[in-house]
Amino acid sequence: MEEIKIGVYVCWCGTNIAKMVDVDQVVDQIKFLPDVAVARNYKYMCSDPGQDMIIRDIKQHHLNRVVVAACSPRIHELTFRKALAKAGLNPMMFQMANIREQVAWVHTDREKATKKAVSLVHAAINRVKWHESLDKRTIEVNPATLVIGGGVAGMSAALEIANAGKQVYLVEKSKKLGGYAAQLDLTFPHFYSARQLIKPMIRHVEDHKNIRIFKPMQINQIFGYMGNFQSTLQLANGDETKLKFGNIIVATGLQPFDPSEITSYNYGKLPDVVTSLEFEKMLAKGRIETCEGKEPKNVAIIHCVGSRNANYHEYCSRTCCMTALKFANQIRSALPESNIFDLYADMRSFGKGCEELYTQTSRKNVIFLRFDQQNGLPEIRSTNGEEAVSMLIEFTEQFSKEQVEVPADLVILMVAMESHADAKDISHIAGISMCGNSFFIEKHPKLDPVATTSDGVFIVGTCQAPKDIPDSISQAKAAAARVLATIHVGTIEVDVITATVNEDICCGCQTCVSVCPYKAISFNKEKGVSEVNEILCKGCGTCGSTCPTGAIRSRHFTDQQILSQIQGLLSPDNKFEKM
Amino acid sequence: MSQRINPELKKELLKFGAKDWNDCYHCGNCTATCQLTEREILFPRKAIRQAQMGLTESLASNADPWLCYYCGDCSDTCPRDANPGEIMMTLRRYLTSVYDWTGFSGMLYKSAKAHIVVMLVLFLSVVAAFLIFGGPMITELTSDGGVRLNTFAPAEIIAGIDHIVLLTLSFFLLTNMINMYYKVVLKDKTVHIPWYLYFTEIGEALLNFGTQLRFSKCNKSRMYWFGHWFLMIGYVTMFVLIIFFLSWFQTDNINVWYHPQRLIGYIITAGFLFGTIFFMIGRIRKKKQIFKHSHHSDWIFVVLLFLVAFSGILIHIFRINGLPFATYYTYVAHLAFEIPMVVTFVAFSKWSHLAYRPLAIYFSNMKKKTRELQLKSKLSVSY
Ligand SMILES: Cc1cc2nc3c(=O)[nH]c(=O)nc-3n(C[C@H](O)[C@H](O)[C@H](O)COP(=O)(O)OP(=O)(O)OC[C@H]3O[C@@H](n4cnc5c(N)ncnc54)[C@H](O)[C@@H]3O)c2cc1C
Ligand code: SF4
Ligand code: SF4
Ligand code: SF4
Ligand code: SF4
Ligand code: SF4
Repeated sequence: MEEIKIGVYVCWCGTNIAKMVDVDQVVDQIKFLPDVAVARNYKYMCSDPGQDMIIRDIKQHHLNRVVVAACSPRIHELTFRKALAKAGLNPMMFQMANIREQVAWVHTDREKATKKAVSLVHAAINRVKWHESLDKRTIEVNPATLVIGGGVAGMSAALEIANAGKQVYLVEKSKKLGGYAAQLDLTFPHFYSARQLIKPMIRHVEDHKNIRIFKPMQINQIFGYMGNFQSTLQLANGDETKLKFGNIIVATGLQPFDPSEITSYNYGKLPDVVTSLEFEKMLAKGRIETCEGKEPKNVAIIHCVGSRNANYHEYCSRTCCMTALKFANQIRSALPESNIFDLYADMRSFGKGCEELYTQTSRKNVIFLRFDQQNGLPEIRSTNGEEAVSMLIEFTEQFSKEQVEVPADLVILMVAMESHADAKDISHIAGISMCGNSFFIEKHPKLDPVATTSDGVFIVGTCQAPKDIPDSISQAKAAAARVLATIHVGTIEVDVITATVNEDICCGCQTCVSVCPYKAISFNKEKGVSEVNEILCKGCGTCGSTCPTGAIRSRHFTDQQILSQIQGLLSPDNKFEKM
Repeated sequence: MSQRINPELKKELLKFGAKDWNDCYHCGNCTATCQLTEREILFPRKAIRQAQMGLTESLASNADPWLCYYCGDCSDTCPRDANPGEIMMTLRRYLTSVYDWTGFSGMLYKSAKAHIVVMLVLFLSVVAAFLIFGGPMITELTSDGGVRLNTFAPAEIIAGIDHIVLLTLSFFLLTNMINMYYKVVLKDKTVHIPWYLYFTEIGEALLNFGTQLRFSKCNKSRMYWFGHWFLMIGYVTMFVLIIFFLSWFQTDNINVWYHPQRLIGYIITAGFLFGTIFFMIGRIRKKKQIFKHSHHSDWIFVVLLFLVAFSGILIHIFRINGLPFATYYTYVAHLAFEIPMVVTFVAFSKWSHLAYRPLAIYFSNMKKKTRELQLKSKLSVSY
């Protein structure tokens, strides 16, 4: 084995570290440790001159290990690894000691802080001696994509990818493509006909040479990992078909909330209390009518049904306020003499053209009334034929604090948007997590709202959160771009810090298989040992610490590395000498 | 008890002047801006809400519109251009018709045609009365060269007619005021006013009646306040003169110019002319919020008032310069303008606010004090 030569660099971080840690002392203490070839301190190690200093030393002094004592590795580990690579050293031959967040910023006694810094640097020096060269690996990406769900979101994503010349497998559970958008009459805020928007889209998808549609079809299992997934579909004729694909886009969409659990609305008992979706169908048929086929004189619309209420869903369904305004306009055109009452909690009219729709609607003789769910929901009751009007809605109006009753012949409940009932199954099949409201969780709520924590799996449309058609489509096209980018690159780099099984020692107990949170370990029956899929493995170390025989080794976190690190930390040589 | 929402009310209210007021989305800016609103008496937003929702009962018991003097600050700053000031104006017209149990007021307000027809009928009746019952039109002048007006229209007889008109109108106005009291105070079950407040709160109402101090709080236009106050003072003085001192006022003597009879006459006329010309110019230029929206009752009123004042000064000029026929004809015209104005406006339209405003201040203050007392006793119980 070649001689170990370590370069140690202690950073001041301006005054951040130097104020609380005597950096000269640290260097003086560790420079005599075995294998330390160079030890220096510098004002800003991460700066270009700082990095150049390391590179120069590596070349001049033939260093083969580097330790930097500075800030958190989360901030600059990558910077220094790159510097090592530049100097021709394997980037893994590097260790960082955090003497800023873990020392300078949290201590007030300079003497003790310096001593702790010395210990941490000592630990890093001990550890880095055991580091091994690890090389990046790449895998090839299968250029086909699986899209689950054929609503606007799924279809948009499929079209985008197919138009780029790549194969798409579109799996739709129902007999028809289009999802809920295809069931709407007009759309807010421009009153475009939903059918005229969706029909051509469906035709495009159906005619596209790069899209293979499976419907009605459900997917039961997906194997593999980013770049190399596969699944087997059971066709209606009893045949099976095996699909291979590199990415998955999940677009399973929404389902409307069932309002019958809200007793005060009497949905299901009073025939003229209908849901927004039922009303869309009424509009699509072309006639607004009561159950007796009469034109209603008084129409009431109630917002937030099942939304923004701790008993049902706490979230806002985002589209129902605008849908309600859309209804008010449609009712006004169809029944110019009717009375329209809009019972809302808050008017959420954000988005392009939406506040304008609200203003426009308020000029159409619609009576807006505000209720507060916390003070009790409105009560819908029948007049039992004792009055000309068939129902009365009673509640406390919030802008006047008056107890009022609204006459109604037809009541429309703006029901909440829930995630599809299949979401739970899909979350297992595709390996995505669900939030408390059963919507799929994105990788990062701000910075990556399209991807998931499973590489190669994307979520689009209302399965991620309630949203309208344009937002669903935007997200779908964003996911398509992400997928096309990986196909374009053709290969993916996979992390080098993974677990490996020593087949000679593994007893085949499969404990590791049950604990791996990423399903990265499988059992090889023939050999009777466990195997780690290094592409799925995230290097979390769970298996390594569970394995009863010590057969699993976590790369870059070996027992040897960790133990010598601890030894360095506790070494009696670590002392502080007053100057 | 729940109050039924009445969508028809809105259609009704539209006839009283305002445009569509659904624009208001209750940001509350207007109430925050208004100089006159205060804790426990919040307007104009609240009243707008009642109007929007068609809460007929709540509106009838709401005296707030009378507390607004229409400075227009709220309309200027409303983010939705909902014209809250004009809605308050509309509500004052509407409330006048609500208090008026005869239904006459509503008819005059809702239809310009009806108002004009009523005025014409009254105008012609006055002319006809003079044709039938008028005294001889003698051309012989008095010793100091004045026209003998009291021979043609003896002051005692005219005063008698005035008294009859006044008594009748007083009856209507008084009963309307009682109706207002019933609707605003008695029907409001949320407050039970202790008896002593009826005495302690009367002062401020009377003070306001005389000075319109509240009005001057809308500090934007001193000129407007002055025009309004001057007109009001002229009007009240004229009323007192023609009811109690007509024989002294309508004299055939030509007094020296500084004689009180002439001075008072000039002041009244100046008040009328200044006020009416100021308002007419304003309504034509539409610069200030208050003048932007004119209802037919506003125009009829201001034009008639101007004609009354103008014919009044002409009578005076013709009489002291010894022009008998000109004096007689203008006198007939003067009364033919005055009677319809008084009959339609005093108890049934615009001028009734002279009574309703101080009453509203009176009632509102009593309610406010009562609420404060209720709150205090509630607090002391809970401690
Ligand atoms: C009453 C109402 C009115 C609306 N009005 C408007 C409007 O005017 N304007 C507007 O922009 N938006 C409106 N929206 C919202 C709009 O409907 C949605 O934004 C849109 O439908 C979302 O599309 P999606 O593809 O995400 O989901 P969906 O439309 O729900 O499509 C999902 C598809 O996935 C399929 N699927 C589900 N599970 C599986 C599975 N396990 N395997 C395979 N396939 C599966 C479903 O069958 C469905 O075809 C309205 C919504 C409602 C409820
Ligand atoms: S969009 Fe409007 S109606 Fe729908 S949940 Fe949100 S606030 Fe309620
Ligand atoms: S514009 Fe106003 S209403 Fe809309 S989100 Fe912003 S603060 Fe809220
Ligand atoms: S290190 Fe973690 S992710 Fe990798 S195989 Fe072990 S348990 Fe699974
Ligand atoms: S009238 Fe205008 S200022 Fe007043 S609450 Fe309504 S929108 Fe706001
Ligand atoms: S017009 Fe002036 S006084 Fe009347 S409500 Fe508006 S701000 Fe107040």
